[in-house]
Amino acid sequence: MEIKDILNKELMILDLQSITKEEVIQELIKPLLKEGIVTDEVSFLKTVMEREEQSTTGIGMGIAIPHGKSSVVKAPAIVFGKSKNGVEFQSLDEEPSYIFFLIAVPENSNDQHLKVLSQLSRKLMNEDIRENLLKATTKEDVFNAFD
Amino acid sequence: MKKLIAVTSCPTGIAHTYMAAEALEKAAKKKGVEIKVETQGSVGVENQLTEEDIREAHAVIIAAGANISKERFKNIAIIEVPIAEAIKASDDIIDRALNVKAKEDKLADSVTEIKQQRNETRTGPYKHLMSGVSFMLPLVVAGGLAIALSFIFGIEAFQEEGTLAAALMQIGGGAAFALMVPVLAGYIAYSIAERPGLAPGLIGGMIASQIGAGFLGGIVAGFIAGYATAYLKKIIKLPKSLEGLKPILILPLLSSLIVGLLMIYVIGTPVSGIMNAMTNWLEGLTGTNALLLGGILGAMMAVDMGGPINKAAYTFAVGLLASNVFEPQAAVMAAGMTPPLGLALATMLFKNKFTKPEIEAGKAAWVLGISFITEGAIPFAAADPFRVIPSIVAGSAVTGALSMVFGATLRAPHGGIFVLPIPNAVGNLGGYVVSILVGTVITALLLGVLKKKATQ
Repeated sequence: MEIKDILNKELMILDLQSITKEEVIQELIKPLLKEGIVTDEVSFLKTVMEREEQSTTGIGMGIAIPHGKSSVVKAPAIVFGKSKNGVEFQSLDEEPSYIFFLIAVPENSNDQHLKVLSQLSRKLMNEDIRENLLKATTKEDVFNAFD
Repeated sequence: MKKLIAVTSCPTGIAHTYMAAEALEKAAKKKGVEIKVETQGSVGVENQLTEEDIREAHAVIIAAGANISKERFKNIAIIEVPIAEAIKASDDIIDRALNVKAKEDKLADSVTEIKQQRNETRTGPYKHLMSGVSFMLPLVVAGGLAIALSFIFGIEAFQEEGTLAAALMQIGGGAAFALMVPVLAGYIAYSIAERPGLAPGLIGGMIASQIGAGFLGGIVAGFIAGYATAYLKKIIKLPKSLEGLKPILILPLLSSLIVGLLMIYVIGTPVSGIMNAMTNWLEGLTGTNALLLGGILGAMMAVDMGGPINKAAYTFAVGLLASNVFEPQAAVMAAGMTPPLGLALATMLFKNKFTKPEIEAGKAAWVLGISFITEGAIPFAAADPFRVIPSIVAGSAVTGALSMVFGATLRAPHGGIFVLPIPNAVGNLGGYVVSILVGTVITALLLGVLKKKATQ
């Protein structure tokens, strides 16, 4: 299984509107609710925010990967989001974040899915992939960024 | 070229663990430094560091929000950083790790390490048996010494109810010794199947002791209970909602029934038959047979000085205490004392055959010997195995044989010379002391003959 297999066009927002951290996470959860992947919005938001409070997932370089593991998640999923103006995410480099990957993981996930997510984390440390994602304007571009 | 190793881990184990790993690998690659990064994330441990990796590494970088055990890295320099730091400033961290002063090897640590490795390399049934024995031993020691103390008031004093002697006997014989076989079986099973194995093991051991199957029955019960539980744990699959019942209800109940019924209907009778036959044989043992058994047990105590063969002889003797057979216990303790004692005596008699450090170590060997710590002979044996081991084996075999022939008995499983003054703890004290002295002298003289002049 590859990262492309877990990316989903229904789970992409290319024009995020939010300007605060909590709002943007809420906005990213929306498609998960619509697809029936997350069953309880409030509960999952709380899980993700609790993780943020431990330490920010804004890893710098314009990227943030909020994530949560919860029983209200039915299947592992990634929501991709992009913000034109950037969101203040208390990132490690204190710069705003433009690219978001919201990772949702069920309480009991199989290793295969978790491995894909670990691959995504590793790939985001690659400058070329980050550049491609920042330049992406269509959903196709997001898929191709990982080539 | 300096090699580095690292461990990364974060609270949820989904993202940062892997990003930090990637960042460190990239930073190291840029500098042409070799690095291996172990990730402890939601997938479990990946790219695990081996003993060899750790030994060869200049330093370890620990980037972890979650707690990581540092036990493995006690011999190398450790750089600890917050996980976010490893992602953000991986270049600096690699530099810091390269420039940190390497930790010096400590000689003293390496000795304890060898002993620890010996423990760690124990695997399979032997490891489980030893785990059971190690949990049983404190019971035997405390119980045996309590019984010995009761004998201070006279060997029959405990029969008078309400006396201190009776109380001591109740502690030692009534409680501690009654727990011996159940605890042995329980912790054999625990070692095999972890927590759910304990209850069936204890129950199986209790039955073994009730039906007179003794420590042999206990060992059998422990292994049945352990392997049965481990097997059931693997094959029983429950719906998520009932999963919690498995370790607390289903596994203990089923495996207790299995081990209990097997012990009562199938295995118990033959094992208690063997146990009875062995007990009777040992009790009636005189002359040549006693000499042979004592010689064999004695030799076993000395040949690997605390290793598996030594432990086998010792376990055999301790187990028999539960069946009121005390002669082998006397023989193995005496034979376990003579190797360090004989070496200590030899360092005094034949100073030219030992190095200066060995002569110094000889003084400590006296103390280890009288305390029944056979391992005290290891440093000498390691330096010159082909001359030292035959000498100590010969001395111990003679001591064991003499102790059996004299019919010496010992009710405490440990304590060395310090249990001898307790009245009635040792049967035929005079003969017992003679057998220890003879073995010590034989070992010392043989060392004098066999060992070459030491080059100082």
